[in-house]
Amino acid sequence: MTTAAPKLEVEALQKRFGGLAAVKDVSFSIRAGEILGLIGPNGSGKSTVMKSILGVERPDAGSVRVDGREVAGWPPHRIARLGVGMVFQHSRPLYRQTVLENILLGLLPDRLMDVLPNAATDARARAIAERVGLTGVLNRRPATLPFADLRRIEIGKAIARDPQVVLIDEPFAGLTARETASFAALIAEMRADGRAVLIVDHNVKSISALVDRIYAMHVGERIAEGTVAEVMTNETVRKVYLGGALETAARPEASFRDVQTPFLEIENLNVVYGKAQALENVSLHAHQGEFVAIVGLNGAGKTTLFNAVSGLLPFAGDIRREGRTLRSESAATIAREGIVQSPEGRELFGAMTVSENLDMGGHRLAGDARAERREWLFDLFPVLKERQSQTAATLSGGEQQMLTIARALMMKPDLLILDEPTLGLAPVIMEQISKALERLRQKTEMTVLLGEQNVTFALPHADRVYVLEHGRIAWEGDPSRFAAEAGARYL
Amino acid sequence: MLRRALLSPPVLISLVVLIVASTLPLYVSGYVLGLLTIAYYFGVFSMAWDLLFGFANEVNFGPSFLIGLGAYTAGILDSLYQPPIALSIAAGVVAAMTGGLVLALPALRVRGPYFGLTTLVAVLILQNFVVVAAGLTGGEIGLTVPDVISISDKVNYWIALGFMGLSGAILYGLSRSPVGLILEASGQDPVQAGALGFNVVKHKLAAFLVSAFFSGLAGALMAFYLGAASVGTFIDVTVGVQVIIGAVIGGRRTILGAVLGAVFLVALGESLRPLGDLATFIVSAVALFVVLFFPGGLIGMVKGVREAT
Amino acid sequence: MLLWQILIDGFAISSLYALGATGFTLIFGVTGVLNLSHGAIMVAAAVAAWAASGNLGAGAYPAAAFGVAVALLLALSTYYLIVRRLQLSRAVREEEKEIFILTATLLWGIMIQEAIAWAFTNNAKTVLPIVDGVVTILGVRTPANEIFTALVCWATIGALWLFVNRTLAGKAVLAASMNPRGVTLLGIELKTVYVGVWAIYGALAGVAGVLLGMFLGVSSYSAGPLTASAFSIVVLGGLGSVSGSLIAAYVVGYLETLTAYLVSPAYRAIPALLLLVAVMYVRPRGLMGRR
Repeated sequence: MTTAAPKLEVEALQKRFGGLAAVKDVSFSIRAGEILGLIGPNGSGKSTVMKSILGVERPDAGSVRVDGREVAGWPPHRIARLGVGMVFQHSRPLYRQTVLENILLGLLPDRLMDVLPNAATDARARAIAERVGLTGVLNRRPATLPFADLRRIEIGKAIARDPQVVLIDEPFAGLTARETASFAALIAEMRADGRAVLIVDHNVKSISALVDRIYAMHVGERIAEGTVAEVMTNETVRKVYLGGALETAARPEASFRDVQTPFLEIENLNVVYGKAQALENVSLHAHQGEFVAIVGLNGAGKTTLFNAVSGLLPFAGDIRREGRTLRSESAATIAREGIVQSPEGRELFGAMTVSENLDMGGHRLAGDARAERREWLFDLFPVLKERQSQTAATLSGGEQQMLTIARALMMKPDLLILDEPTLGLAPVIMEQISKALERLRQKTEMTVLLGEQNVTFALPHADRVYVLEHGRIAWEGDPSRFAAEAGARYL
Repeated sequence: MLRRALLSPPVLISLVVLIVASTLPLYVSGYVLGLLTIAYYFGVFSMAWDLLFGFANEVNFGPSFLIGLGAYTAGILDSLYQPPIALSIAAGVVAAMTGGLVLALPALRVRGPYFGLTTLVAVLILQNFVVVAAGLTGGEIGLTVPDVISISDKVNYWIALGFMGLSGAILYGLSRSPVGLILEASGQDPVQAGALGFNVVKHKLAAFLVSAFFSGLAGALMAFYLGAASVGTFIDVTVGVQVIIGAVIGGRRTILGAVLGAVFLVALGESLRPLGDLATFIVSAVALFVVLFFPGGLIGMVKGVREAT
Repeated sequence: MLLWQILIDGFAISSLYALGATGFTLIFGVTGVLNLSHGAIMVAAAVAAWAASGNLGAGAYPAAAFGVAVALLLALSTYYLIVRRLQLSRAVREEEKEIFILTATLLWGIMIQEAIAWAFTNNAKTVLPIVDGVVTILGVRTPANEIFTALVCWATIGALWLFVNRTLAGKAVLAASMNPRGVTLLGIELKTVYVGVWAIYGALAGVAGVLLGMFLGVSSYSAGPLTASAFSIVVLGGLGSVSGSLIAAYVVGYLETLTAYLVSPAYRAIPALLLLVAVMYVRPRGLMGRR
């Protein structure tokens, strides 16, 4: 097993999308009976690598070899037939067919004339169903099944044809702790079967017990490779995930005026996406004028949390503003009343200029007041003033981010929600945003919820910190205690 | 799986209905038989459309393009050379399948509403061509198809019924077979289907050709039944609309529902004829009502009742 | 001589096409709906104006206003009764909503068309023109009505442009066509924007319909071809691009006029169709399409 040639080899892989280099020179190999974890934050290029292996994307340069055969540039169905199976992140079963029929799909040959099924295929499908734990629900339809079973169907389909290589995208997203353990066992079985397994994920912790080696990516490149222990203690990796040294400058909770009834209260928030539990019993609060940081990796649930507060999705539990519930209000009303979001997706008006975007933000202000506010924001973000007649779509990533924050500030919010403001930005831009945040903190009474995976950026601005992990609050407290208590476990 | 499908309620009910329908000529008037004959051909049009939409997830706004190609090619050949009827019909089928290929090529390259637009444009072009090349096609007045398969109401009815039954059996069987499974997967999530090892392009192309085959064949047969072909009966956008609505109100993705919808529309239209212009209004209103309040179609309504009780 | 006549005639008909297409594209750009009852609404406006002056003895201006009001009402009904119902429906899967809305608007259009035919017969009707007489331009005797048509079309399009680019409400509409979520996040109710857009659309279709009724006359049979031509123009220009529609309207209008004059009126629709085919194969997103 250790001396045989690798089942999957990726060499000098490159892929550009327009001007953006998504993958720059990625190389790794996986042997039979080995599990490699490919980790990296959003935008690191790991999805592109996976799609390039599968044939969904055509690499610009480099090679992908399955069992020695070059497959770069092949159409996906040929690569799949060669022995590559994939478990997608999102379950997309055929809803009008039973579980058995769905698994059967993975066993069918790619022929137009194979109109009649046979008993042998049927038996194999049942065997696979048993392996992944679906024997009890073979004749049920997907709509009636819990989330975990839908994921099992995906695994069943992927291993149906006995692939040599299996790619798995975020295997544990949306699963409970017990289900996670059971799925981990299934994946370990794949290793025991002699398959080469590639797991792609954001979160090192969730897959650390399972993988043999890790390949860490950031902005399209490799930043570390080796055993779990080696990677987790690697300087660059820790910097990317945790940032550098942690500074703090918190104000004590008692110093805020509304200690009794905090400005924002969230109580036992539960959000379900389709079947997956996105948030589970989340409770937190924020005082008027307080900066609260909510740190967590991609997929932890920060955006879901913010969207619930902004009224953009249904939830169970209670969200109150100054003691008054927000439940029945429309999203636009919530925004008008002063809870404003600077979303992760930015949601700018691409064909409108910087000034026009800002004016849209200040649409409820009178002409003079609006102009004044705009000037204040140009002062806060000087580069926006330079680019004021440029359309938003032509701005750089950092400039767009600043515009997003500025546009939200035009609304004179009581509570500003910042969702991942520094994602993918250069340090220089992060500096500017950091300075702007500092000014807001010192000079205004604005409450801020800062959602970040970059802890180094978030901590100096925070008065209190919550750690969100897999949809649950894992830790809360003082920033100064974060490093000691939560920081080590963060990765 | 197929065995279960063969003995399932929809199939059994369909068999019963077919048997009952085949006895109709014994006690029903020639007028009603004629109506049902047309309805059966429309049933095939709608079933062929449902295969493409319900499974391959391709919305064809111009089914009358394929139908018209089949009808007119067969009709023109017959009016010019009077070859054996089977030959004309075969030519019509080939023409329709070629048309299906022509539609399929952009379909597999463009996304979203653009494919639908392409199909609509195809109908407009065919329509204009027929009108402009009046010497060949009879233009707006229409084409006379001199040969007939039979002059008996009853025989024509049985031909239509038999053809519909056979087409339905094949199309339904296809939809429930492994090939149908692959088609549905390709339509729902082409990326995943590719990752499971299926050549999505190949399967969708096949779906187009099958749909074109049945549309063209039914069109050619109907042209011989009517003894005439005109833009209004075969190519006009309203014909396409009737085909689509038949499938949608019958219950999309069921294949069998399409027949239900087609017959329902024809029957409704006919029974309201004394009301003159108001008839179309009422038929459209009823169809709209079904689309808005019972999106699962007539079959969906029946299922809903069954599930509720 | 003939050249000027083609130029002038073509200009008038193109302007009318432009107005109709602008409304159609506005609705698609902001709400994503291809409204297949478009032609029927235009015809309804014309027939309403005709009925008002014929049966109720109203003057030309009030009759025209009545026609526009009817179009407004029909457009809002289309939104509330059909589009909104289907968009909020939980019985229809997301990916199927488009086809359902298309089918429903088509049926609605047929209903309107047939109701008109039943109430007022399907004969062609001409709306009482607001402007009478003949004017001579560049040596060509042109009905003053034709000039009036072109002027009103452009005035309306101009007003729309001012609205979208100079008023906050208009910019909200523009923003909604770019990013609906962004609009909500800024505290603007999307529902209000949509109602506003459908109302504007109704007004545009109404004006276009009434003008068409004055210029060329309509019948209930015109509904289908009107929708088809608005559709083709919008596709040619690029779905969702108003400037594209304007340009395409003139391309199509002039192609038709040239063909009608130089070849034969029977073939007038052909060149535009061929152009459409070429565009579909070579550049499916149209001249200036975004997606």
